[in-house]
Parts: sequence; C-alpha cells; structure tokens
Amino acid sequence: MTALAILLTTQLTHLAPIDILILVLYFVVVLFIGFYVKGSTRTSEEFFLAGREMTAWIAGLSFVSANLGSLELMGWAGAAYQYGMLATHWYWIGAIPAMLFLGIVMMPFYYISKTHSVPGYLQLRFGEGARGVSAVSFAFMTILMSGVNMYSMALVMKVVLGWNISFSIWIGAVTVAIYVMLGGLRSAIINEVLQFVLIWAGAALIPILGLWEAGGWTKLKAQIAVNVGSNDYTHLWTTLGSFKDNPMGVHWTGIVFGLGFVISFGYWTTDFLVVQRILSANNLRAAKMAPVIGAAFKMAVPFIVIIPGLLALAVLRDPHTHQIIRLVGENQVDAAHPYSYNEVLPLMLIRYCGPGLLGLGITALIAGFMSGMAGNVSAFSTVWTYDLYGAFFNKKASDKHYVSMGRWSTVVGMIASIGTAYLVMHAASIMDYVQALFSFFIAPLFGTVILGMLWKRATRSGGFWGLLAGTVSSIAMWLYTTYGGQQALAHIALSLDAKPMAENLYRAFWSWLICVVVTVSVSLVTRPVPEAQLAGLVYGATTIPDDGARSLWQKPIFWAAIVITIFFLLNIIFF
Amino acid sequence: MAEGTGRGESLSIWFFVGGLTLLYGIILLPYGAYEWFSGHESSSVLSNLHPTFWWGLLLTLFGGFYTIRFRPGKG
Repeated sequence: MTALAILLTTQLTHLAPIDILILVLYFVVVLFIGFYVKGSTRTSEEFFLAGREMTAWIAGLSFVSANLGSLELMGWAGAAYQYGMLATHWYWIGAIPAMLFLGIVMMPFYYISKTHSVPGYLQLRFGEGARGVSAVSFAFMTILMSGVNMYSMALVMKVVLGWNISFSIWIGAVTVAIYVMLGGLRSAIINEVLQFVLIWAGAALIPILGLWEAGGWTKLKAQIAVNVGSNDYTHLWTTLGSFKDNPMGVHWTGIVFGLGFVISFGYWTTDFLVVQRILSANNLRAAKMAPVIGAAFKMAVPFIVIIPGLLALAVLRDPHTHQIIRLVGENQVDAAHPYSYNEVLPLMLIRYCGPGLLGLGITALIAGFMSGMAGNVSAFSTVWTYDLYGAFFNKKASDKHYVSMGRWSTVVGMIASIGTAYLVMHAASIMDYVQALFSFFIAPLFGTVILGMLWKRATRSGGFWGLLAGTVSSIAMWLYTTYGGQQALAHIALSLDAKPMAENLYRAFWSWLICVVVTVSVSLVTRPVPEAQLAGLVYGATTIPDDGARSLWQKPIFWAAIVITIFFLLNIIFF
Repeated sequence: MAEGTGRGESLSIWFFVGGLTLLYGIILLPYGAYEWFSGHESSSVLSNLHPTFWWGLLLTLFGGFYTIRFRPGKG
C-alpha cells in the first residue's frame, strides 16, 4: 500500500518530517529491544516470566504500563468528557486499594507457590476444572482486549492523520508480535517501562498547556459549569447520592461495592495480564513492593487522561466558528457532530502540539496502545501454553517445545486480536465494551481466588462450580439487560435511572456474589481439602517467609501506608 | 547483570529510557529554538509559550542524566 493511498482527505493534520523522525525512532528502538533480548530468552522461565529477575521498580512500572493501553488513554479521556470527574474513580478507588492489597496480602501466595499464572494458582488450589474455566475465559478476554487496543490506535491514526484503519491496525500488530515473539515477557516488560516514560513525555503537555489556557483548576471548573450547565462534572462524590443526580447514572453503592470492591480487586489481583508482571520480580520483597510502586504512579495518571477530557468540555472550540465542539457517542457521529468521545485526546493533542511535539504525542499514544497489546498477547501466550496446551493437550513436552509454542501462540493470538479489532468498531463506546468484559470474567474470578486464598474450607468442587456459576450468570444478566429494556436494567442496577455504566458495576457485584454463594454452598457439602495440601496456597495453612526488609524504608507496608494516605487526601480534596 | 535486560547483557533498561528521551530532546530542542527565534511558530494554541523548546530542553536534561548514569560498562 503506498503512502499516498493510505492518506484520506478527512485528516485533521499532517505529520511534519520531524514528527515522522520521532515516530520512526520509536519503532526502531522497540524492535531493537526485541532482537537484543532474544539471546537471553531460551527457557520457558525466561520467555514467560522474564527469568524472574526484575527489580521492584521495573516490575512496578511494567505493571502499570501494561494496563495503560487504550482503556486508560482514549477510553477514559472520552469517559471524562462524557461523565466528568466521576471517571477518576476508575483510577483511585477502582485501583489503589486493590493494588496495595495485591502487594501486601496476596502477592506472597502467588509468589511462594511458584505458579506461572493465575489459572496455574487455581489449579494448585482448586484443581484442573477451575484452571480450565479461568484459562478459557481469560484467553478469550485478552484477545478481545488486545483488539480494543488495536482499534484505538487505528482510530487515532484516522482522526489525526487520516490513515486507513486497516493499515494502522496491521502495522501496530506486526511490531508487537515481533518483539514479544522474540523476547517474550522480558522484551514486553522492557518495552513497557520505556513506553510508560514516553506516554508521560508525550501526553503531559496537554494538561499543562490546557490548564494554562483555562486559567487554572478553579476557572476550568467554572467554565465547565457554564458550558454544560451543571456543576456535576467536577466532583468525585457529591453527586452520587442518587442515580439521577450525576451524568453516569450511578449510585455510590455501585462505585464502592461494584467498582471499588469487585471489579477493581478482581482486575488488579486476578487478571493475569498485570499479575504476570509482578511474578517476574527477583525476590519476595520486590514482588510486594512492585504493586505499591505501581499504585503511586497509577494515582498520577488522571493528570494526563482525565484532565484532557475535562479541558475539552471547557476549551475545545472549532478553529473556524469558535463554537464549542460537542462530541458524541461513536454511533451518533454525523456531519453536524463529526467527532466521538473516544477522539477527545487526539483532538486536544492537535490543539496544543505543533510539529515535533505532535510526533511525540502520537508516539505516546501509540506506545500506550502497544503496551496494552503486548500485555494482552504475552499473557495470552503464557496462559495458552501453560494452562491450556500444556495442561490439556500435551503435558509432557520439552521445555524447548513450550518456548516454541509460546512464540507461535504470540503470532496466532495477534492474528485473532486483529479480528476482534474489527468487531470493536461496532461498539458504541470502548468503555462500555470493556466494562462488560470485566464483569463477565474478572468479577467471578475474584470471588474464587479470594476464597481460595483466605478460606481453608473452600473445596475443589466449590471453586469450580462457583467460578462457572459466576461467569454464566454475568453473561446471562448482560443478555437480560441488553434485550429486556429499561425494566430489566432497573432489576439489575436497582433503579430506572441507572445508566449502562451503573449496570456494569452492579452486574459485576451480583456475579461475584453468586460465585461466592455457590462456592461456599458447594464447599460446605463436599469433602474438605486436607490442610497439608494447602501449604503455600492459603492463609492459616502457610508460613509466610521473611521478605528481608529490615529498616522502615525497606518495608512494603510502610510505603503502602503512605500511598493510601495520599489516596484518601485526594478523595477529600476533590470530593 | 544489567538491570532488566537479562543475564549477560550489558545494556540497562534505564539506558534505553535515557537514550531515547535524550534523542527526542536533541531533536526537539534545536527545532523549538528555530521556531522561536525565526518566528516560524506553529498555529497551535499557546505556541507563543514555545512549548517545543522548553519540552525539548527538559527531555534533553532528563535523557542526558539517565544515559550517563546508566551508560554501558558503568558498574
């Protein structure tokens, strides 16, 4: 395909030669890293877990970066425009407590059990059935999520540069496939740390210049209130007393229990995409510190994601008519409203960034999408190789064979992801799509893992049937609300005023509850697992080894206390 | 062992971070200076603040520090 052929007439801007140089340099370095680490990626331990030799800082930054894909960049910037500051809940209450819980409470069990994956932990705790269900659902989810990242990247290229969607999807996918296939998790992690720095280098100028233009935070809030006719867009908690008092159509119980407890803890503690990064840590203390470091950086991400969405409500004007541009849902785009919520970040980028900075900003967005893609595809290849292929199809292959399978499954996973990227084009909003996936797979998995870790009486049958019931019920609830109209929504989300995002939160909570109730019920009527078999897997049956911290500064719990204190302060400040 | 790049490899992950940001700084800083002093500023909002120059300077300092601190063969 020639460069001329991929350029469309609708593009917002052109890349100058300096922008292209910045973009090309990024791709060269990313691919170089893949070839550079290939030599040290020969065993399965090296390919799938980066040799378990990463420091806390590298594991922690990679942990955040793997999550910093399209969901975090395009999706939440769009959601901030759509729902206002309520979107910040997905970064703070929807992440920080769970990340700290993972580091301080759960990580010792993942780490000392020497598991290769979260489904691998479930196999040790609940047997092959639970592993099979979680591995299949996880593999399915990672492929879909990888498609979200590809589509988002292609959308940026379309909006900003007028590039053809398919061309953009393929160029990103091939690059990620090459470096993950060559260097496995090691290559993915190194690139993710690099990508994390680049995302900040390329995106931080938008809020800095935007706040300058708006005249500071107080004037920004006032301008938003004028433009949208409401104060509801700039508060975290004050509008959550009733479903109908806020743009998201949600109640605080949905945020606290559905998001803060179930979805957040489910994602950050059981989604192997992120947990895999921590398993690469070089010792137990690093494994405990990595999520704490990740949480500190996660708290700062709204600055480059939420603030641009809010700024767009106040300052995004048509350069010709000087009228405020109104963004709409993806399926409402027409001649009068040519841009969707998902496009708010690139629009803001173009507003403030000239040649050079535009290339850096575009590179930042691409880096974010590629870290999301790499995270999904490396986790997929691990779960496929260890928990599906190695567990059910070929149990006694050589280590070399599994590394080879890991490389091939990276390529196959990427091709499948490309297929899902085209599927995402039909979703009204990326965020709605992703939240639905989380409630299907993550919420019930958290019920199974948390009971498995904290309750000795949970049995293998309980774990398997609980997980299956939770997943099936979540999908059933989604079908019910999709086809059952407003009344169905009111049954699941507890109010006729509830909107789709609220429904996702409550559906996650109900599916978690169903998983827990079924797990407990089945466990109580089935034979308990002998305590000797639970050593290293469950609280009360395990002696947690010393993590080697001697001074206060070395203790993960000390740093976790600092992070949670800042978390509470931020919630009070923006209450 | 180089931090984060595996056994037997000499390049640290932080060297990659520093190297790429330094390269970006070296590209943006003179371009920003050219825009500023030749009056060829872009039409983007607030371009009168010369963000390309200042951001290029910041990246040069950040990247330079990490490149030197984690250069190959140092420790």
